[in-house]
Amino acid sequence: MIVNRNIKRIWSLSMLCLILLSCNSSNQSYESLPKKVDFNFDIRPILVQNCYLCHGPDPSSRKANLRLDTYEGATAALKEGGYAVVPGKPSKSELIYRITHENDDKIMPPPEMNSKLSEREIKLLQKWIEQGAEWKPHWSFIKPSLDNEINDIDFYINNYLNLKELNKAPVANKNTLIRRVSYLLTGLPPVTEDVEEFISDSSENAYDTMVNKYLNSMGYGERWARHWMDLVRYAETKGHEFDYTITGAWEYRDYLIKAFNNDVPYSQLLKEHLAGDLLKEKRYDTETGKLESQIATAFYAMGEGTHSPVDVRQDEANRIDNMIDVTSKTFQGLTVSCAKCHDHKFDPITAADYYAFYGIMESTRFTPLDANLSIEKENIAKELLEIQDYIKALVTEKVSPQIQVEKNQKDNEVIKPSNDYNLLGDFRASSFGKWKTSGMAFGEKTTLGVPEIDKHSGKLIALKEGVASSRVFDVGVFGSLRSPDFILDSNFIGVRARGNQSTIRIIVDNFQLIQNPIYGDLTKGINSSEWANYIFNVEAWKGHKAYVEILSGEYKQHNFNLAKDAFVEAEYAISFNKEWPSEIRVTNNDQSAKQIKAINKQIKKGHLKPSFYELITTIDSSKKLSSKLKGKTFIYGVSDGFAKNSPIFNRGRHQDLSEDSIPRRFLSALPLGDVPFKSKGSGRLELAHAMLNKENPLTSRVMVNRIWHHLFGRGIVETVDNFGLQGKLPSHPELLDHLAIKFQKEGWSIKKMIKYIVTSETFKRSTLVNKEALKKDPNNIYLASFPVRRLESEAIRDGILVASESLNATVYGPPVPNYLTKFMQGRGRPEKSGPLNGNGRRSIYQSVRRNFLEPMMTVFDRPIPFTTFGKRDVTNVPSQSLILMNDPFVIEQAEIMAQKLLKEESLSFGQKIEWIYMRAFSRKPTEDEIANASKFVKQLEDMKKGNNNNADFDLEIWKEYCHSIFNLKEFLYLI
Amino acid sequence: MSKYHNFMQKPLSRREMLDICKGGFGSLALLSLLGPLPLSCGQSERSIINPSSNLNLGPHFLPKAKSIIFLYMDGGVSQVDSFDPKPRLTKENGEDPRKKFKVDATQFDNVGKILKSPWEFKQYGECGMPVSELFPHIATCVDDIALIRSMTSQFPEHTNANYFLHTGSGLQGRPSMGSWITYGLGSENKNIPGYVVLDGGLIPPGGLDNFKNGFLPASYQASILRAGPQPIANIKPKESIPNLQEQKLSFIKALDKKQLAEIGEVDAVESAISNYELAYKMQSSIPELTEFKEESKATKKLYGFESDDPHTRGYAAQCLLARRLVERGVRFIELTCPKVSADRWDQHGNLKDGHEKNAHAVDQPIAGLLKDLKSRGLLEETLVVWTGEFGRTPFAQGSNGRDHNPSACSMWMAGAGIKGGTIFGRTDEYGYRVIENEVSVHDLHATMMHLMGINHEHLTFRFGGRDIRLTDVHGHVIKDILA
Repeated sequence: MIVNRNIKRIWSLSMLCLILLSCNSSNQSYESLPKKVDFNFDIRPILVQNCYLCHGPDPSSRKANLRLDTYEGATAALKEGGYAVVPGKPSKSELIYRITHENDDKIMPPPEMNSKLSEREIKLLQKWIEQGAEWKPHWSFIKPSLDNEINDIDFYINNYLNLKELNKAPVANKNTLIRRVSYLLTGLPPVTEDVEEFISDSSENAYDTMVNKYLNSMGYGERWARHWMDLVRYAETKGHEFDYTITGAWEYRDYLIKAFNNDVPYSQLLKEHLAGDLLKEKRYDTETGKLESQIATAFYAMGEGTHSPVDVRQDEANRIDNMIDVTSKTFQGLTVSCAKCHDHKFDPITAADYYAFYGIMESTRFTPLDANLSIEKENIAKELLEIQDYIKALVTEKVSPQIQVEKNQKDNEVIKPSNDYNLLGDFRASSFGKWKTSGMAFGEKTTLGVPEIDKHSGKLIALKEGVASSRVFDVGVFGSLRSPDFILDSNFIGVRARGNQSTIRIIVDNFQLIQNPIYGDLTKGINSSEWANYIFNVEAWKGHKAYVEILSGEYKQHNFNLAKDAFVEAEYAISFNKEWPSEIRVTNNDQSAKQIKAINKQIKKGHLKPSFYELITTIDSSKKLSSKLKGKTFIYGVSDGFAKNSPIFNRGRHQDLSEDSIPRRFLSALPLGDVPFKSKGSGRLELAHAMLNKENPLTSRVMVNRIWHHLFGRGIVETVDNFGLQGKLPSHPELLDHLAIKFQKEGWSIKKMIKYIVTSETFKRSTLVNKEALKKDPNNIYLASFPVRRLESEAIRDGILVASESLNATVYGPPVPNYLTKFMQGRGRPEKSGPLNGNGRRSIYQSVRRNFLEPMMTVFDRPIPFTTFGKRDVTNVPSQSLILMNDPFVIEQAEIMAQKLLKEESLSFGQKIEWIYMRAFSRKPTEDEIANASKFVKQLEDMKKGNNNNADFDLEIWKEYCHSIFNLKEFLYLI
Repeated sequence: MSKYHNFMQKPLSRREMLDICKGGFGSLALLSLLGPLPLSCGQSERSIINPSSNLNLGPHFLPKAKSIIFLYMDGGVSQVDSFDPKPRLTKENGEDPRKKFKVDATQFDNVGKILKSPWEFKQYGECGMPVSELFPHIATCVDDIALIRSMTSQFPEHTNANYFLHTGSGLQGRPSMGSWITYGLGSENKNIPGYVVLDGGLIPPGGLDNFKNGFLPASYQASILRAGPQPIANIKPKESIPNLQEQKLSFIKALDKKQLAEIGEVDAVESAISNYELAYKMQSSIPELTEFKEESKATKKLYGFESDDPHTRGYAAQCLLARRLVERGVRFIELTCPKVSADRWDQHGNLKDGHEKNAHAVDQPIAGLLKDLKSRGLLEETLVVWTGEFGRTPFAQGSNGRDHNPSACSMWMAGAGIKGGTIFGRTDEYGYRVIENEVSVHDLHATMMHLMGINHEHLTFRFGGRDIRLTDVHGHVIKDILA
């Protein structure tokens, strides 16, 4: 390998110093200063920690009108004379004068801040000014670049190890390696046969083969999907008071598993999350043809849901805030939510940036989506619409010339705007006007002119009048029709409609969890095939923004459901103040509507008797095709609303708005951040494009860092969700850039990146820590050895199931209900407990009910799902030991393992121990260990003999032994 | 001062400590008497070894209280029927409130007539504090109580208001006040969790997230204790013969130690090993707590163990358990309500019946608790807080209930650092809105923390790029009620 010594030594050196400093800050003597002081790595951290609270980007808390986050600010003339920073001249810089001042009333930072600059920090600032006080944008806002692209991971890692004079640990043994790779790639321990195969494979590419096997196993997707679920606060219920179910949340979980297993490029994954419903090029499952790309949008709707908020506008603001928080942390590693009330105190993120995002979210609508939409369904729908058009054209052509529409006097009358009502939508003509559909049920236009043909005789019965209908194809097809936003200014909204097991709702401020006591009037079930006027009292929400939603299907306890024969049809929607108006004039009074009326009249009178016998078979087969469009399972995702720019909420209060609205756009400090979105909808697709823009410095870095984090237990940037000024600096900046560039070049392939990392020598090192390394690098930042780490909650539980050979390999599907203990109480508690062993399914398939989280999962640090957690805590508390010692699940599995062991009748004692060791530790026991085990088993036998009235004596003994094994650290840690 | 010794002492390093506990199984428990376990070096990593002090140099100033008992009156007690008498309601009973004052949107939007209190008020104690007939026992303790009549909430709806009261934010996911306090101060007793919720039967709306650690490490979440032989989950060994578990644990420890010797010094693994010692100890220390063997008949009677009302007896056991936890150095104890009825104090209808039953369940046990703490000298180092999540409307919902009212709520505190016999804050003549000395939930939190020796502005946790506090950017200590 050609080693290029020409790395950015200065960068690295200053990095080293910094890390040393942070580990050793109390030390009097300090690391010598770098030759060239780097603003990003040496200076900015000092300024962020000590100065920006009062001299940072947020003008509202700025003191003395001095800002030190920009060159212009720091070098501007001070009010009291002089300059904070005079480049090249520390002695003339007020900043140096003040930080070295002896008087309490002059010194900076002021004494009440409780932060004093160290001698080294002062010297650094001096030297930096001396060298010209160069300013740079924050490191993560500079596009990744490398001097040399031929180096690899080990080069960068070894470079630091050499600089630090750290000795590398040797490569780990094969047992350790397969266990490590298997757990980290799939979340499961390797099965005995795989271990044996790998050990006996002496070929050169044995390791590669092994890695590929796990990378291509089902378990890979299950493991990496769960990592991702931590980012998007995955849950299957809405929490709050009654913990209502989120419709089909688990479909999103399955979507992730499939996407990771199919190695869908990260760029695609990102697009699908942000705008999967808007993509022109949709992604379908290659095997089933199921439409995948829209399912990702469910992540927007995974947040907490509040019913009956008294301040519905605030409720919307809270929900959007959570969406912004999760979106910006997950994809950009930025905490945009901090700019809700004022400009970010540290990062170059303004309140305007936040409200630009706000508009994007506010213009997005929550909606159920048919989870089983597929390329087949889409093609059928297309075909059926073509057939319908064809029939319609054929019929119209035949009957129209026979009809002369009488010129009616009325037609020429100018319609006076009525004071009595406002027409919100009129479906008696052929179009939906400005209303938008989602789902396929409503087709592309109203029913106007669709011929009704007797299916036996082929006689034309009539041409349909115009209504919006969800049974354009058939009943039981999912679809919704939504009005544009409007401001409520009347007492009532009325919709003339009919239908079956369907719904019309008035959505005020995007509020969805409509129910009594406050909001009950805003939803009406449509359950009559007779036309009727449905009236909504909206007086209480005058002045709020709203839209009307006409929906086939209904919400039951907020869980969406569509009956086989559900449908809804509407003629028009109005708003009015007193009584339902006696007549609703057709505004869109086109000729065809009249003509159709005239034709129908003629047919009724018997003057017109056209027959279309030749169409009967077509109509018949259409019917059969239509039934394939019925929706059965649903997810809760989003569809696009109408573009709305948001004003700034001063101090975060929706009652106090800025005059101007902020155009929807990306973050101003990032490339494309100054380009307002053109979309007439939310602009989510443009948002995705901005994040994937080649110049974006964050998207790739953030994701490769997450991958590194999951493999090594610590990111190159340790604060994986925060690449802002308050996040940690990268430990290996060039390596991070190297990975980020490679990731993009190789088509954003997550599998390729993982493979690249796990085949490095760095990854293969043993965990052996030598004393010297421990002293020099106690936190193992430089990776002289592989870090020892505890397994995650899921891996511990799944590992137990594998060891006891009880793992049920079923994949996908509705969650297994959690086993409920008596400590899990409260409203919304499921009526029935799930099975103790979770049916043996992997933990990712156990239900995640916000108010009834699985205790073993939470105790072992699965995060509480309310915002993005890219990095789990690793706590160490007695309740973890209590679970492993006393939880009935753990004990049950120990017993099962013992049963299976005893079925292997021919095993000697040593072989029994080996059987257990292979399952628990992926290795054989040493002779010492067997001797040790023998001693222990004897002890157990002696104890049990005392009260031996048990037929299953052996089982009892081995159960205790297996249970002890589950408690060993070698079982719970990757060692 | 001895009880605060662990703040002053130089903490042992992990290594020193583990050296000490090289002895047999169980020796580590001794160490718990010495003080909090030191945090691992990389605190930024949050590889928290054990709940322990995060204030670096101990409390910010000398604490008055060692523990807090939080008596949560789930559902919202009516202030005008308990601690805030309003003669005007009697005078104008049955009149239309909308003609008297502006009525805010209420949750059930079923505004009835002005409703007088069904209960009489009398003055008690040297201070002459008026208390309604609902609380005859608590009334005998008023000289130890500082009453606040001017609490407000920001939310007229249970779940938001519960989260707000417990975490300082109306949304799910923030750390609970008990989590903050144990995060700040650590626990005084390593064999019992520092933050305990005594589940009386009703977990408040919003569920267990009211007691969760939010973004703080999971070690700071509440342990839920229930009455009975298995007070917390998995506390009972399942081994069929005595000493068998110990035998297994010794085996485990020996193998673990060997492993550790092979890989070198790994802090996390060392701590995991020592956790077994603690867990083992907890198996006896926790159940012992809920056995009241050594409690005298007189003590039990004081709490209401002899009451005819099973709910009183149940709550009495909770209150006695709270005292026992205080004795063992638990930092934060919250009592949830007994299951008198499914709607707790939330009487949207049948105010008289519902409030009477709820009051009967808690009145004697609470008074018993205050008296017992006092006679043992524990009241001066224990802060007792009594509150609901909001108050109720002075007008009826329907004909005989009251709706939620976040604009005024009565609550009280007693014990450590509290000026007994004080009345703070004032509501208007209807008891509908606060008109003087409004106390926000943030103020309550600031005051509770203050009494525990914590400056609420300085106890922060970096999350999502912000240093977050329990009190957000608000909160003032209520000085007027402090002794």
